[in-house]
Amino acid sequence: MVFVAKMALRELRASWKRLLFFFACIAIGVASIVSLRSLTQNVRVAITGQAKALTAADIVISSNRPFSSDALAKIEQRLREYSVTERTNAVQTDTMVRPATGGRAVARMVEVRGVEPAFPFYGTVVLQSGGTYAHALLQNRGLLVRPELLAQLGLKVGDALILGGAPYTIRDVVLVEPGRRLGGFSFGPPVLMDRADLLKSGLLSTFGRGRYEIMLRVPERSVAPLLGRLRRDFRDFPVGARSYRTNEDNLSEDLMRAENYLSLIGLVIVVLGGIGVSSVIRVFVQQKLKAVAVLKCVGGTNPQILAIYLAQVIALGLAGSAVGVGLAGVVVAWAPAFVGNLPPGTVEIQYELTAAAVLQGLGIGVLVSLLFSLVPLLQVRHVKPSLLLRETSVARRRDWLEIAVIALVVSALAGLAIWQAASMRVGLAVTAGFIGVTIVLHLTGRLLVRTVRPLARSRWFPLRHAVLRVGRPGNQTRAILLAVGLGSFFMIGVRLLQTNLLDSFNVQVREDGPDMFLIDIQQDQVDGVVALFTSTTPSLPPPRPIPVLRARVAGVRGREVNMESYQEVRGRGSLGREYVITYRPTLEDNETLVEGDFWSATNDGQPQVSIEVGIHERFRIMVGDIMRFEVVGRTIEARVASIRRVNWRDPRRGGFMFVFRPGTFEQAPHAYIAPAKGPDDPSVRGRLQHDLVARYPNVSVIDVSEILETVRKVVRGVTLAISVVGAIVLFSGILILVGSVSMTKFQKVYEAAIFKTLGASTRSIAGMIVLEYGALGLLAGAVGSIGALALSWTVSRFALDIPWEPSPIVNLAGIAITGMLVCGIGVTSSLDVLRRKPLATLRAE
Amino acid sequence: MIRLQGVSKTVTSGDRPLTILHSTDLFIPSGQFVAVMGPSGSGKSTLLGLIAGLDAPTTGTIEIDGIDITTLGEDDLAKLRGEAIGFVFQFFHLIPSLTAYENVLVPMEIARRRDAPRRAAERLAEIGLEARGHHYPSQLSGGEQQRVAIARALSNDPPILLADEPTGNLDAANGRHIMELLGAIHARGVTLVLATHDVELAASADVRLAMRDGRILNAEFAEPRRRQWSS
Ligand SMILES: Nc1ncnc2c1ncn2[C@@H]1O[C@H](COP(=O)(O)OP(=O)(O)O)[C@@H](O)[C@H]1O
Ligand SMILES: [Mg+2]
Repeated sequence: MVFVAKMALRELRASWKRLLFFFACIAIGVASIVSLRSLTQNVRVAITGQAKALTAADIVISSNRPFSSDALAKIEQRLREYSVTERTNAVQTDTMVRPATGGRAVARMVEVRGVEPAFPFYGTVVLQSGGTYAHALLQNRGLLVRPELLAQLGLKVGDALILGGAPYTIRDVVLVEPGRRLGGFSFGPPVLMDRADLLKSGLLSTFGRGRYEIMLRVPERSVAPLLGRLRRDFRDFPVGARSYRTNEDNLSEDLMRAENYLSLIGLVIVVLGGIGVSSVIRVFVQQKLKAVAVLKCVGGTNPQILAIYLAQVIALGLAGSAVGVGLAGVVVAWAPAFVGNLPPGTVEIQYELTAAAVLQGLGIGVLVSLLFSLVPLLQVRHVKPSLLLRETSVARRRDWLEIAVIALVVSALAGLAIWQAASMRVGLAVTAGFIGVTIVLHLTGRLLVRTVRPLARSRWFPLRHAVLRVGRPGNQTRAILLAVGLGSFFMIGVRLLQTNLLDSFNVQVREDGPDMFLIDIQQDQVDGVVALFTSTTPSLPPPRPIPVLRARVAGVRGREVNMESYQEVRGRGSLGREYVITYRPTLEDNETLVEGDFWSATNDGQPQVSIEVGIHERFRIMVGDIMRFEVVGRTIEARVASIRRVNWRDPRRGGFMFVFRPGTFEQAPHAYIAPAKGPDDPSVRGRLQHDLVARYPNVSVIDVSEILETVRKVVRGVTLAISVVGAIVLFSGILILVGSVSMTKFQKVYEAAIFKTLGASTRSIAGMIVLEYGALGLLAGAVGSIGALALSWTVSRFALDIPWEPSPIVNLAGIAITGMLVCGIGVTSSLDVLRRKPLATLRAE
Repeated sequence: MIRLQGVSKTVTSGDRPLTILHSTDLFIPSGQFVAVMGPSGSGKSTLLGLIAGLDAPTTGTIEIDGIDITTLGEDDLAKLRGEAIGFVFQFFHLIPSLTAYENVLVPMEIARRRDAPRRAAERLAEIGLEARGHHYPSQLSGGEQQRVAIARALSNDPPILLADEPTGNLDAANGRHIMELLGAIHARGVTLVLATHDVELAASADVRLAMRDGRILNAEFAEPRRRQWSS
């Protein structure tokens, strides 16, 4: 053992320069992973906090009617099982309000939410006055309202509002309210009040429309299991449960995805470092063959010799990891300069190197060094001491030990991948991709040698020799193909994923999305409202009002289901709720037809309805079934003419479960709503809102621009982080590839010198190198690129759960850049030979 | 004592088998000095390599002090070499990353000798390079490198020393120096097998074997010490 340690030290003393690249790969890999880990751990805390603030609780259980005693008993039991002690109740309903005295004598629809003192568990209610929110503000008939409601009613803080026949005082103005949904269809501006007041007001019993919520604070590890439990418990009841992770707003999902993606990137960087390590070790072993033979000649056994080199690998791995951790410290200290432009108050990120990340980094550095050098190092076992009598190439044989070691390395890698990506699926996808691409690259190498062989008879010197070099035993064809192929596989894969991920980011937070909702526009006001917008903001697309009616499903006569009465429909859970319906002649951009016609050319005069695919799947209602609706006091029978799928991620034009064929409701009394993009300039925006209210006092305006802006800032920050990290992967990956390829030059340099001695021109030698390296680069790039398609598809589909679109530009550019890069490195690393006198090179060997 | 029985070596060059050592029987008693002579390519290195277990024969058995080395595995062979057989190469083959001293030290360390550092220094002194111990092979002349190689081969006091054209890469003066060293070693009772095509060097051997095309053609015995051998 002492001998092994001494030998390892002596060898390192002499060969550390050659292993510098090994060292660099590990340092880059570890630096990236440790800084990413530290950042994501910090960002995760912030993101989770943000997602919780959007929900105001860990889990929300909700129902459209008061919880039955059975349901409550069940919930109590589950809460005990999961030792949840903190809960608070909330209730929400739509109602009319009007000023008690003064202001405008108009009534206005609002969404009131009654909350208890414990609200909110997460996030803060931001008040315009700058004061801190406390439940005391709501007690004794207090209200917190939105600024647009004050504007519409011409009131100010301190005035009184009549709600359910009783007066309430406006105590302050709410700017941000945790747990309030983003945009979507609400019936009026939100109002916050005391839950007890709301229950006493009688509003819930008169209108009968309420949303009852139980909000819970749950220990982190119990969130998912409790949520699953509750959903199973209430599968057949009109009771729903959601957690801050499954928020209806897709933002939190987007943030979680971003986090998963960052973990994946950390893994990819480490694997890239590993590829570099394995290239170095391959070349290193080639250069050490003679020393190994000598050791064997003077009595060294295989285990001793293997141990000597493994000890060097571990020492270098440790040193590289330590330097990597140091680098990470620098990166993390600098990170705020890059990601620091997140809005204050939304995401507070603590930038620091976490102890866990440092330990992981060291562990991973050493592990990856070992894993990626083990297989190439095993080759020393096949070194025969007779090598010292005459030059013989070392036969590469696969034996059982090597196969066992490969299996071990692959499973260790899979474990590492799963651990690092924090996901079984991603880990397995990456490992499978790695193995698959490796195998394909091996086969490609063989195929290449076979297919180009006839070209060896070419009359053109550079081509002939390029072909001969590619095909000769013991050359670097395979090493280059492997390193470059795997490298481009991961880099192009990351690039493709990044494109898809950023595309999938919530459409509603895009800059051109609506940031105002106009509600209750009467039929004869539609043209006027639109005209007002076009005259104020001629550059923006005018709002397109949507007719809306409220409807209830009163029965279904279908092939698979039959519900005679509303009572029966109510028994079917959410089908019994009140729906907002519309009618229009064509599909919207966010809809796709699944089955049937929208609408058929023939119209037999019977009302027709198109249902969302969710209704079709949940309640087994088919095309051709007859549905009975109660709409504004009328009962209408409509035939299901089609099934549509709504892309809920893109709610710019709304999402309707039921869309009717025009012709049924035009004469019925109904109003319009209009999602609109308002002017960005606050003064213009204020004037527009003021004009609207002055001219159309019955129209409500809900302004979501502040919430949207907050969300946008978070998304922008995360987008930036993803892009920066993507760039880091590309950069370090390219560095590693450059190193790996230039490691293969030694042999070629020597040969080039001999060719020159024999009279070959610099040009034809350069041509030879360009042909050889160019072909290898293009081939490796192509294999990697195809693998990357598969990888990004699998990860998008099964791990990140985002829609996947091919982006051929990334693939093609990837192949081209890889080809040029490898070609460039080949030529540059041979430049000295091409320019120098051949004798210098020959003597140096 | 070295005994070869029916030893031959066939290699496949390209796709044809090529016999580079035809069936050979040979007995070398302990303490003898045997010179293997013949032109380049006649099979001298092949023969020495087989005796040292650096290569495995295609047929036959090779006994070193009563042990049939053809039955040993790689690691056991390595151990045997480390303790019982020293080998000196035409191209020295020192480990370039180690100093002269360390090159001599390594075999003793592998054999786990306690007194390795002291003995390594003694060995260097014997070859007159005690002052050059901290030099790397690249900083030594060819003759010096070969002397270090000899010190390395002898570091574990092996009873057998095989030298494959040890002077082939040296000038005459350095060559003589090496031969004097080898002579002194033989005088200590070490069995010495020397491959060379230099008649002068072979002159002092007990037995001179002439090889050609992978066969031992004849043997010449030096007077007056006639020892038994067979071919
Ligand atoms: N692995 C091998 N493949 C093909 N031919 C070989 C191999 N090893 C040795 N030879 C051939 O065997 C013959 C004897 O070689 P060698 O023992 O090195 O001769 P010497 O040492 O006398 O010069 C040579 O012709 C050599 O080319
Ligand atoms: Mg020879």
